[in-house]
Amino acid sequence: MTNWLNENVLWLIPAAPLLACLWIVLVGQVIGRKYAHRPLVLGLAVSLIASLYLLTVVVPHGFGHDEHDASHSVMTTVYQWIKIGTIDVPVTLRADAMSALMLTMVTSVSLLVAIFASSYMKGDPGYPRFFAAMSLFVFSMCMLVLAGNFLLLFVFWEAVGVCSYLLIGFWFHKPSAAAAAKKAFVVNRIGDFGLILGIFLIWQTFGTLDFATLFESPNLINGILAGQPDIFHWICILLFIGAVGKSAQFPLQVWLPDAMEGPTPVSALIHAATMVTAGVYLVARCTPFFVHAPYVQMTVAGIGAATALIAAITALTQYDLKRVLAYSTVSQLGYMFMSLGAAGGGHGLALHAVTFAMFHMFTHAFFKAVLFLSAGSVMHAMGDVIDMRRFSGLRKALPITHWTFLAGALALAGVPLLSGFWSKDEILAVLAAASREGEHAGFYGVILGIALLTSLMTAFYTFRAYFMTFWGEEKFPEEAGHHPHDAPPAMAVPLAILAAAALGIGLLTGPTHLYGHYLHHTPGLPEGHEFPIDWLMMGISSILAAVGIGTAYQLYVVSPKIVENLQRRLSLAYQASQNGLYIDWFGYKFIAAPLRGLAKICEFFDRWVIDTLVDCVGFIPGLFGSIIRPIQNGMVQNYAAVMMLGLVVCLITVLRALAGTH
Amino acid sequence: MTATALESQLIVGATLFILGVIGFLTRRNLILIMLSAELMLHGVSINLTAFSRYHGNPQGQVFTIFVLTIAACEAGLALSLILSLYQRRKSLDIFLWGKLGEDDLPVFSGSPAPPITVTVDPNVDLPHLTPAGRMPKTQPGPQTKT
Amino acid sequence: MEWNEENGLLLIPLGLGCLAVWWLMPSAKQRPRILGGLAALAAILMMQLMLLPPAGDYVRNVLFFLFAAAAVISAGLMITDRNPVYSALWFALVTLAVCGLFLLNSAPFLSASTIIVYAGAIIVTFLFVIMLAQQSGTATSYDQQPIQPAMATIGAFILLGALLFTLQEWGHIDGKSTNQHAEPGQFIALPEGIQPNPLSQAPQDNPHEIGSLRVLGRSLFGDYLFAVEIAGTVLLIATIGAIAIAPRRSQGTL
Repeated sequence: MTNWLNENVLWLIPAAPLLACLWIVLVGQVIGRKYAHRPLVLGLAVSLIASLYLLTVVVPHGFGHDEHDASHSVMTTVYQWIKIGTIDVPVTLRADAMSALMLTMVTSVSLLVAIFASSYMKGDPGYPRFFAAMSLFVFSMCMLVLAGNFLLLFVFWEAVGVCSYLLIGFWFHKPSAAAAAKKAFVVNRIGDFGLILGIFLIWQTFGTLDFATLFESPNLINGILAGQPDIFHWICILLFIGAVGKSAQFPLQVWLPDAMEGPTPVSALIHAATMVTAGVYLVARCTPFFVHAPYVQMTVAGIGAATALIAAITALTQYDLKRVLAYSTVSQLGYMFMSLGAAGGGHGLALHAVTFAMFHMFTHAFFKAVLFLSAGSVMHAMGDVIDMRRFSGLRKALPITHWTFLAGALALAGVPLLSGFWSKDEILAVLAAASREGEHAGFYGVILGIALLTSLMTAFYTFRAYFMTFWGEEKFPEEAGHHPHDAPPAMAVPLAILAAAALGIGLLTGPTHLYGHYLHHTPGLPEGHEFPIDWLMMGISSILAAVGIGTAYQLYVVSPKIVENLQRRLSLAYQASQNGLYIDWFGYKFIAAPLRGLAKICEFFDRWVIDTLVDCVGFIPGLFGSIIRPIQNGMVQNYAAVMMLGLVVCLITVLRALAGTH
Repeated sequence: MTATALESQLIVGATLFILGVIGFLTRRNLILIMLSAELMLHGVSINLTAFSRYHGNPQGQVFTIFVLTIAACEAGLALSLILSLYQRRKSLDIFLWGKLGEDDLPVFSGSPAPPITVTVDPNVDLPHLTPAGRMPKTQPGPQTKT
Repeated sequence: MEWNEENGLLLIPLGLGCLAVWWLMPSAKQRPRILGGLAALAAILMMQLMLLPPAGDYVRNVLFFLFAAAAVISAGLMITDRNPVYSALWFALVTLAVCGLFLLNSAPFLSASTIIVYAGAIIVTFLFVIMLAQQSGTATSYDQQPIQPAMATIGAFILLGALLFTLQEWGHIDGKSTNQHAEPGQFIALPEGIQPNPLSQAPQDNPHEIGSLRVLGRSLFGDYLFAVEIAGTVLLIATIGAIAIAPRRSQGTL
């Protein structure tokens, strides 16, 4: 039994949501439309159990060990997909410590979000469609994490993009939702282009796309490194472009705030917890490449810092609750990339940089999911109103939502001992370590400064949203009706579980090094020494969190007049922040508009030059035809006349020939 | 006994044939077209008898008899065809039967037919058929759709 | 074929004839027909002069020329007349003239049967149809309007010119009759090895015999028996076809 499970648990994880998807699409549309969530919940429960079991399969020795012995990975070849000449791409599922951890996160958050959505989406005409797309998404995400080679990864990289498109545009009759879905899809294309170019380059350089071959044998990489060291820069920068698109980093972050047009569970699951972290996962997965490209790692850190700062500044002044959370997500993703980029700061840092990025991703998934779902609960109660100016003082009306949101906000702000505190602190610590030594110490010093500033702003805007929503005088929009009701049990239970996770999971896995040591079993990760706890950074970040929360309390609860004064004084800066530093506007003016002009020119060329040429080509036979066609006028005598002319010619020819013989 | 020079007969035959060709190509009356075809056959017949005489054997004349036979067949069939065509269009104009042409071409009708300027000479008295058989029906008016 | 004066001389009657036929064509504008008639006469006379043998059987030559001229003139009038009834009558005249030519060619039986078949049957039937169709008796508009007269006339006369030039090359039309040296196969050589059938061979001493019923009948039912049977079958089929095609009384009368 155990052997059978060990061998088959791999394919069971993606197969369960796939079966759920097929069931909902084929049967659920007709039978039991109201219960379309059941197959998904069941499938996700199976997946979650299988993922948890996978954790023990991948590292049989258990958790606490920090030994780095033989490769810990499980592989299953499901299907021989492409085999032409030297190209051999099987559908291989491969799990190691990193993917097992990520799978656990994906399936657990998905399960909770699915339960939440079963209540949240009740009564929607597209109820089965929603759960079918959700199932497809979870299947694709699991396959993306489990992919055993780059091509398979790319396939499901695109598949999660498609699911994201389907779910952002779930209410497709709403023009803004359709536009947002299109925008997300198009912006993602730019990143995907970089990713597939990177995959081509890997194929050309190494001759294989298989993860096991690429990452588990240092000799291959060392051989290439001796011959053409620059190639790693190109590979890494292309892969990073892919990650930038998927994870909404600067300058491609514009799609994520708009993606909030989708249903809130989708925002929580896809656009906060799972899909957008795929870029982080990709970069972490390719660490064996990135350690050989220090400049790309600096770029990663720089882009992450820029994104974090821009998104945090934008989040300061938003009034749309979900938008605040979306910018916060972008900002936190920037944090993760900063951490990944810190690997370039010095030898020995790479392992910890990757570990802390993955850990922040892990904790972020929980506390951001609870924040989004709480926002969804608020929306549910407020009759789909999400503008924070139209409601306030909800802590009496929505007690459960209030407490869960508070838990998520505290975790995000980095209050000591909560999950966000541990992961964020570790990122700050690794950045501080990078800024202390090595040739790029100054660069990482700047990054560290930005990270601290962002940390302060994060605490501020999170609690700004919290205070605006739940404090102050009690005010409901008219859409909410007279007595807004709190979350029903199907929504409250996932919220409570997630809130508990947001509060406790950091303490459980962070200081105990449970997560880090487990992740160190991932084959291919570089060696690293024990990382000391940085008490200084811990102190600074605690102080920053307290300052941010205190400022928000002062400004939005005690004396709201100051905010109005500040708005008037700093109207220019306020407008810039409100409009996301005009990045969207810039993109429209300087990228979309010239491209549109180019398209106009092309259209003109196509319509008047190409079409004219084609018409000319078509016109010539018609012209010849129209010269000869009047002969075919249907008059018998006309045909007879032509016959007679032919007779004349033949007769003259024959007579001349006969005359010659005479 | 001398015979007329062969060439003279051939020239007469050729001339008749050519005049038949011209008639066939230019006339618009179905009956005259058939008559022109018969004229061509006459030219050929003259040629055949002339050669028969020239060579001193009857084969040419035998072939003329065959020509005669075929001409009779042709005339019979042609007349019955012309009659059924006439019944459709009530006219012997061959232009009304130009449907073999390309669809998008206008039906070729030459220059518009001139108004009849010939005044009938009252002295000319052509034979007329007396109406016979049952009383011809009056032309039905334009069909009204029911 | 080398070009010589006689060739050029032949162009004059050809051109005149062409012009005459074109001129006489019915057209929208009334042309003075007399001009066309004169041109036609001139053309025919010139041809006559060219064809005139220096010596010989005068009666026979005169008869030939008369019949030939009658046939050609009647044919020209037939194809140019505006009235289809007149055209049919002119065609009857052509038939009669051709029958005269048949007689001169020692084909009395043929001459008689042609008159019977054409004048007696075909032309009468044609007239019958014309009168059925055009009971008004007046010329219809389409009879006054030829199709492509210039092209048809010129093309046809080119054909005629080609024939005449060839004859001129081969047979020396200018007066020297082929009668003096009438050898079989002068125009087209008989293939060697093919013997004429002695049964159908007319006695050489009496050239009139070739048109006699005896010789003709022997040839028809000897050499061409099979063809005669087929011709009879074709006639039968044509009769059945004509009856089948012709409009029924049930479809309405004319």
